Amino acid sequence: MAMDPFAAGMLAVGAGLAVGLAGLGAGLGEQAIGAAAVGAMAEDEKFFGKGLLMTVIPESIAIFGLVVALILLFLFNK
Amino acid sequence: MGVLSKLTGGTRYAYITARVRGMKRRLLPKEMYPKLLNMEIPEITRLIEETEYKKDVDELARDYSGTDLVEHALSRNLAMTYRKLLDISTNEPHYLITEYLRQWDIWNIKTVLRGKYYGAVPEEILKSVVSAGQLRYRDITEIAKLESVDGVIAALSHTPYYPVLREYRGGMLSHVENELDKLYYARLLESLGDSEGEKLFLRFLRIEIDIKNIKNLFRLKRAGAERDAIMDTLIPGGFELGMDELVRLAAMSYQEFSKSIEGHSYWQAISSFVKDDMGSLRDVEVGLESYSMNYASRISHYYPLSILPVMEYMLSKKIEVDNLRIIVRGKATSLSMDIIKRHLVM
Repeated sequence: MAMDPFAAGMLAVGAGLAVGLAGLGAGLGEQAIGAAAVGAMAEDEKFFGKGLLMTVIPESIAIFGLVVALILLFLFNK
Repeated sequence: MGVLSKLTGGTRYAYITARVRGMKRRLLPKEMYPKLLNMEIPEITRLIEETEYKKDVDELARDYSGTDLVEHALSRNLAMTYRKLLDISTNEPHYLITEYLRQWDIWNIKTVLRGKYYGAVPEEILKSVVSAGQLRYRDITEIAKLESVDGVIAALSHTPYYPVLREYRGGMLSHVENELDKLYYARLLESLGDSEGEKLFLRFLRIEIDIKNIKNLFRLKRAGAERDAIMDTLIPGGFELGMDELVRLAAMSYQEFSKSIEGHSYWQAISSFVKDDMGSLRDVEVGLESYSMNYASRISHYYPLSILPVMEYMLSKKIEVDNLRIIVRGKATSLSMDIIKRHLVM
């Protein structure tokens, strides 16, 4: 049975919000870590690896958002 | 906008505090001081050349040697370090560091005035100058070449300190020096706003004022100074010692004062040194400076993304430079190792 167009639209909006808000949250988390990592690297180059790792940790939140969006679009949108 | 600035509040300190932590790791460890105490001046010069001071020692080695070289290198390194903090900071931290560093303008003005008063040559005066404030080294060098105290004061007419300096009517400089200190803190306290960063800075500053006041009270009480002379040196705006408390303490005898100070948190740092018959106040002063350093270190851990780690670093760097200077001067005047050690803040 085809999905109600309104529900399909809302699912798309939900998927968009999941990715968008998760990205925003990750960005907010990363800004301080990124600034601190650059600061630490400026004083000691050896901090590059650790700094990079710390900076990308909040990226996992963006990935959660992407997974939720994919679930919404491919599992429920039938 | 308010929500966004709350969410991004810590970011403006993230960069500078990370850099300061990196810089702090390069300070001399405490274990280094006993080693330095066992060395002679050329060995000390060579050792500090292997540390952060290398560039300064190398560049100044053409013009100076021995104790003079170390003294100039230390002053220059301290000034350059503070300037670096200004260069790597923006907005609120930059403003707070700039205002705090004005204490070096006061220090330099006092150094030049004292030098002129006692007829020291410009080279001798410049040895103690640390150009970390708003007055540039070039300007201070020019001022140090002037003939008299009045000439120096006239040359400083464009600075914010002139209203105090122009009141100088000859004679001892102590009153002008006290007024300069008061002006510095009054300007600083007045310029601070209500932001979280400024509130934390204020707290640090008020503890610093308390410690300065306690040191002055100890010195003057022991010297048997009159109440009015003591009040002249005390700086308003302290954290535990407000003006009412200072007036009360200034009127007491030395014994009553040392008993009365027991109720304050600073007492734990000096309790083992304060005696009625103590020979020198240096132990008390070292105790208070250690307290100040430990306090700064403690609160900078409570607020890691704030101005406090920067303040702690500035204080630790100054103490390191002072310690090295004490060791070098002590060695140059053949003081015993124990005496030099007693003067070190660790």
